[in-house]
Amino acid sequence: MRAWSACALLLAAGVSAGAEWNWNLPPGFPRPLIPAGNPLTQAKVELGRRLFYDKRMSVNGGQSCASCHKQELAFTDGRARSEGTTGQLHPRGSMSLVNAAYAVTLTWAHPGMTLLEKQALAPMLGTAPVELGLAGHEARFLETLRGVPIYRDLFARAFPGQAQAFTLDNVTKALAAFERTIVSLRSPYDRYRWGGEENALSPAAKRGEVIFFSGERGGCFHCHGGWNFSGAVAGEGGAAPGRGGDGFANTGVSRYAAPNRGVFEHTARSEDLGRFRAPTLRNIALTSPYMHDGSMATLEEVVDHYARGGRYSHPNKDSRMQPLPLSPEDKRDLIEFLRSLTDVEMTRDPRWSDPWEARQRPAQ
Amino acid sequence: MLTRHLCFFLLLAAGASAQEPTAAVQVAGDVTRPLTLASGDLARMPRASVKASDHGVETLYEGVWVDELLKRAGVPQGDQLRGKAMASYVLVHAQDGYQAVYSLAELDPAFTGNRVLLADTANGKPLFGERGRFQLVAPGDKAHARSVRMLTKLEVVRLRK
Repeated sequence: MRAWSACALLLAAGVSAGAEWNWNLPPGFPRPLIPAGNPLTQAKVELGRRLFYDKRMSVNGGQSCASCHKQELAFTDGRARSEGTTGQLHPRGSMSLVNAAYAVTLTWAHPGMTLLEKQALAPMLGTAPVELGLAGHEARFLETLRGVPIYRDLFARAFPGQAQAFTLDNVTKALAAFERTIVSLRSPYDRYRWGGEENALSPAAKRGEVIFFSGERGGCFHCHGGWNFSGAVAGEGGAAPGRGGDGFANTGVSRYAAPNRGVFEHTARSEDLGRFRAPTLRNIALTSPYMHDGSMATLEEVVDHYARGGRYSHPNKDSRMQPLPLSPEDKRDLIEFLRSLTDVEMTRDPRWSDPWEARQRPAQ
Repeated sequence: MLTRHLCFFLLLAAGASAQEPTAAVQVAGDVTRPLTLASGDLARMPRASVKASDHGVETLYEGVWVDELLKRAGVPQGDQLRGKAMASYVLVHAQDGYQAVYSLAELDPAFTGNRVLLADTANGKPLFGERGRFQLVAPGDKAHARSVRMLTKLEVVRLRK
């Protein structure tokens, strides 16, 4: 316990560290990869945090990034389908940003989306659907930011030496820098598995862990593998491929009608129809409803779905989607294990909270 | 009805046995000296360690080389591993029913530099939880499927007699 308390103190100290970001990861964990074109600095992270929570990020002042990525919900929004600032519904649910820094690819089903800087442009400028609705309003948006005193200071410090620091490119760099810092490794399971706290997990969760990692009983780890309970991850020292191949699988969740045809939407290859990401299961108890379309409200529904080998048949359904020999008690144990992956400290960590809350925004 | 109750009982029994990790690992099958080894027995044998990466997280495993255990069980190695014995293999059993195979030659340092460790500690602590008490670590394998966790038995099978 003491070791983890000390770790938390070190994490808190990281906020006021120097220019370089202090990750303070548990021993043995790789640091996230940082793109050469966007070094991570304290100033850039702080700017990104301001932007992330600023409703001036939307065309009508209705939404910020945080509208669909709420810290208390592990940076998801609790909706089956996210709603943009003009009321348009996204076909899929908002994904957690936790540990996105380690993800080899981003979003539900886009194998070509590998950079948070690039991904940020989709909600900002996308038109199908409109999310933040800034397309066609870029100049006005940047002018608005330029008019905010705190941004003049933050952009200058985040991008020193740039005469024209107020650019979309820099906005996305700052957002990506902030998002990369949202690393969650402080769940009860982390304390049990890597922190030496034998009693951090209940007996039921311990039984559930064995089921999760047993190829003969649950087999969940095949797709949600490794310490991030996800597909492939990358960090300093190289990429670690997930056991689920590229991390996308057809699990018989739906009929996969357009525009929710999975990787097929980007490749147009029939074998990619219905293939969606196996997201990280960290904090999964906070990110209901589940699946790309939010079609399952509870973890019980999710476990039942897998226990019967998927609720829909499909020619592309992964061969590992077979009925599982799980008793009702096994299912309860498995869910207890999944609940042990919740990092409560992450949901209230001040480094990732709304920086505008302390002061009234109109005063800025 | 009787059958249903019997099935239920068997399921319960299987569930219970699947939860508690075995305290000993066996080297059995077609061997001249079958072994049943607890952690204390392994601690008294020549120890070895390997570093392995689990999705980017480095772990230091300690235990005993599998070839050392096979030697003690009387399994042919080195110059003795030839002819019909080249078709012999080790069937690895896990507590949940999972199985994997190594040929004898794959576990013989006279044939390969890729030695396999029977580990009982990770980072200095006894293995626990989903790892079971014992785990194979095969640093020469690119995939982890033969680094069998929850290890219960190494069964030597002589295919050609």
